[in-house]
Amino acid sequence: MPSTDYQGVSASFSNFGRSILSIRRDQVHSMENTHEATRQEFELETFQRQVADRFNGLLPVGSDELLSLSWVRKLLDVFLCCQEEFRVIMFNNKEYMNRTPMDRLMSEFSERSVKALDVCNAIRDGIEQIRQWKKQLEIVLCALDNQRSLGEGQFRRAKKALIDLEIGMLDEKESNASLAHRNRSFGRNNVQKDHKSLGHFRSLSWSVSRAWSAARQLQAIGNNLAAPRGNEIIATNGLAVAVFTMSSVLLFVMWALVAAIPCQDRGLQTHFYIPRQFTWAAPILSLHERILEESKKRDRRNACGLLKEIHQIEKCARRMNELADSIQFPLTEEKEGDVRQRVQELVEVFKAVKDGLDPLERQLFCVLVFGPWYISFMLQSRLLSVVSIFGFWLLTEY
Amino acid sequence: MEKNPPEKSGSFTGRNSFNNNDVSTPRTPSLSTIDEKADGHHQKGERDNVDEGLLSDQDHNIDQVSQDIDRFTHSLTTVDDKSKAPEVPDVVETFSKIVESRIAKYYSGEMQTKSAGKVTEEDAFFIEAVLRISKLTNAFSDIPSSSTTTSSLNRTSMVLQKAMSFLEEEFRALLEASSAANVNSKVLSIKLSNSFNSKPDDSDRCALPEPESTRNEEYPAYTPEVMRRMNRIVTAMISAGYETECCQVYGITRRNAFMEAIKNLEFEKISIDDVQKMQWETLEVEIAKWIKVVQHCATVLFPGERKHCEVVFSEYPSISRSLFRNLAGAVVVQFLDFAEAVAMTKRSAEKLFKFLDMYETLQDLIPAIARPEISNEMKSEISAAGDRIGEAAVNIFCDLENSIKSDAAKTPVPGGAVHPLTRYVMNYLKYACEYKDTLEKIFQFQQKKNKVEVEVEASISDGERDKDTDREGSPFSLQLMRVMDLLDSNLEAKSSLYKDPSLRDIFLMNNGRYILQKIKGSMEIRPLMGDSWCRRRSTELRQYHKSYQRETWGKLLQCLKHEGLQVSGKVCKPVLKERFKNFNTMFDEIYKTQATWVVSDDQLQSELRVSISAVVIPAYRSFLGRFRQYLESGRQVDKYIKYQPEDIETLIEELFDGNTASMVKVVRWVAQFNVRTTSRNIDFFQTIVELA
Repeated sequence: MPSTDYQGVSASFSNFGRSILSIRRDQVHSMENTHEATRQEFELETFQRQVADRFNGLLPVGSDELLSLSWVRKLLDVFLCCQEEFRVIMFNNKEYMNRTPMDRLMSEFSERSVKALDVCNAIRDGIEQIRQWKKQLEIVLCALDNQRSLGEGQFRRAKKALIDLEIGMLDEKESNASLAHRNRSFGRNNVQKDHKSLGHFRSLSWSVSRAWSAARQLQAIGNNLAAPRGNEIIATNGLAVAVFTMSSVLLFVMWALVAAIPCQDRGLQTHFYIPRQFTWAAPILSLHERILEESKKRDRRNACGLLKEIHQIEKCARRMNELADSIQFPLTEEKEGDVRQRVQELVEVFKAVKDGLDPLERQLFCVLVFGPWYISFMLQSRLLSVVSIFGFWLLTEY
Repeated sequence: MEKNPPEKSGSFTGRNSFNNNDVSTPRTPSLSTIDEKADGHHQKGERDNVDEGLLSDQDHNIDQVSQDIDRFTHSLTTVDDKSKAPEVPDVVETFSKIVESRIAKYYSGEMQTKSAGKVTEEDAFFIEAVLRISKLTNAFSDIPSSSTTTSSLNRTSMVLQKAMSFLEEEFRALLEASSAANVNSKVLSIKLSNSFNSKPDDSDRCALPEPESTRNEEYPAYTPEVMRRMNRIVTAMISAGYETECCQVYGITRRNAFMEAIKNLEFEKISIDDVQKMQWETLEVEIAKWIKVVQHCATVLFPGERKHCEVVFSEYPSISRSLFRNLAGAVVVQFLDFAEAVAMTKRSAEKLFKFLDMYETLQDLIPAIARPEISNEMKSEISAAGDRIGEAAVNIFCDLENSIKSDAAKTPVPGGAVHPLTRYVMNYLKYACEYKDTLEKIFQFQQKKNKVEVEVEASISDGERDKDTDREGSPFSLQLMRVMDLLDSNLEAKSSLYKDPSLRDIFLMNNGRYILQKIKGSMEIRPLMGDSWCRRRSTELRQYHKSYQRETWGKLLQCLKHEGLQVSGKVCKPVLKERFKNFNTMFDEIYKTQATWVVSDDQLQSELRVSISAVVIPAYRSFLGRFRQYLESGRQVDKYIKYQPEDIETLIEELFDGNTASMVKVVRWVAQFNVRTTSRNIDFFQTIVELA
């Protein structure tokens, strides 16, 4: 149970949850019965602890596992759980929703949620793109896997797919000029034609409008996101803290998704201002730092997504490409052994992508399906105060 | 494979001899020379020396070559010990050359068939040859490397890869040649947008305009020959194990073409965030566009795309299904994003009808893509989006309740006229009921959902809700009843603002009449409210009428009572004079006030006048007839007998006319009332009223 010695909001941040609840208890004393207060108190405290626990659970991973498909899926799980708990708290405290400053906080929160949905949509496109790359891998495997002996034509087929893959994985930012250059250096006979086929991969990429930017969207979600002040906490019975918690979780999860998965105009410059006093601040900030470090690594700096599997695809494809270039026919036994080894690597990456992508997309679907419903709940609870078409009559005396 | 050799080789040779005429003349080796050479094991270098010309001349033996290849492939696949592969005959090299030269010719554009889009004998041969090479290559691949077949594998696999690359490019070119189809769809889009601009209001409600449905078969616009060619290429590529490439080319090209087609219909991706920020006027236009596009997809584009896919991949139904599913999925997701975004916008009454349009559009989309082969996921995604739109619509509709409840007026409408609230609510209901079936469906769904929630919560102790459970009828009709009840009690409250009980009756009559007329006049609402409801309302109206009669005219009639005028058998003149004077004053007063009262319903107006005349005129006539004689002899007759019965009748005919001055008052009042609405709502409010 929280201690009762209320030290003042700014005085003791050492246990944030505790002091909030103390403040509230002082305020609420006369208004609510104790049973009610205890329930809400418990709820809010549990929420803080659970968020912290969940993110702590994401922390102990090696750098080879951080940002892997399975890790991203765990992250989304955490997000969905937090969101559900938050929803329950808000639902149980409906009566506060229309009071100041809770109404403002909730309206800000639903705006952030709406923006997050756009990020999720972009991420969904990114997943679709990875799926396209998976198809190129499939072609390579089709050509080189499960054959007793390998002919030049099969290498040519694999090579073609690898080139398409490489083009597909080029970051949006890279200019067409550099594309053309790369393309020529692959020595294909008809640059123009290749350019055309290249257009195929590009135009498939994004269904969001051209002007849309993931970086700017993240910026917008994070705008004015600040820890609630003492008077806000008091006025909302501590609910302001839960809103801030959920908003921060939302921002971080969206940021991590953008970091991991290709999408239009990625950018990770978003800042996180989370007071360390929140129990969940430490794991989130630490994850943030680790992901940022990852993005600064030399071989990852220009990646179209930090997802581990993307990196593996890149690595395997490059190695396979190099090998294919060095091959002379007839194939020596040694080279053939190398090829089989590379193919085995590709098979593993292919499997990882194949097995991980669908569940990830399903989760995203949950976020996308649940999200609108969730926001409409927010709106609905606001509705009580929304001036509808006759609302003006409320205000008019005649 | 039975074919017609002379004709086939004829066409093949014909073309080749034309091309290679002068080159081939010096040496004209026959197939037999190749056979001789076959002993000498072809090496890589030697191959390059084989003259192009040589191939043209063994063309008449092409069937022989093909048969040899088939035989050899068979012997490769059936050999027991794969490490002891049979010798590779020279015919493999010959055959490779043939295929290669064929590809080269296609590339150099000598074969005009490409643009003509016809499946020629050459094409048929080429496809068959490619399949042969593919089988042969597979057979070679199945033999461990380091055997004698390795170099042949390199050779045939290269030829196969070249052929497949060529087919892939050819397939893409054919698919893209549907840019001709894009031109069509551009024309289509102009027509569409024209029809959209010309009648923005009803065009999205009514069925699709003509041009779309008549063009049904033209999407995507490929000629049957092109389709056949595509079909052959697809079959060849998939049989040769190039399914992934084939599907990728098809999937990407068709998806891009589809996206282009809907872009031409002015469909643009708008982010959820931007939708929230949009003004309703702007969003309304976007919704109209969205409805157009989704309807067009449901009726033309998706069926066309599906059919095309089925024809091109006719031998591979499951591939065809998955290709269509992927394409439809990618498109539908974008439609749903917009629908979700719209459902999330702030609710207000004027959005209801557009929301219902969207709901209906989504309902119609489901059968267009959701045949059994479509995964349930997409179906449920569409219905989920529809449900959210529906939920928003239900909430908007139920908001009407709050709006009525919160409308607590402090001043009465002048002249007891129909209150704007009555007009608004009734017109709103009338329009809403044009979507009756849809609303019924949505309400039923919501009720089911709410029931679960209510059971979980068990917190709704609202008396009103309990009362509802006793009532019979669909959830929507119950809601409608509730709205009507609320409107009634609201009007009841408003009527108490009138000090004059007669005016109160007129007000209630006016509004009640308006409501009843609206309900009787709407084929949609009437059955929902039921006959007994209508009868009850009519009875109520009659009671108001009676009460009015009593209140206004009952008092007047007191003056015309024959009793109390006679004192011991003789008519008392001063009392009689007083009676006439009272009558005149009272009638004048009634006339003065009630001529300004407003009864805009003609029938009600005449009913009132008739009923007034029916009680007043006979009473006055008889009173006058009986007592006139006592006053006629005296002075100032006109002072007492101010009106003849005809005059009274005329004046009664002028009641409730809402003379100019009083009409101005009403109009001003309503205008003032409207000014208090937010500027955005005025337009909607007024349109609704004007439409009435």
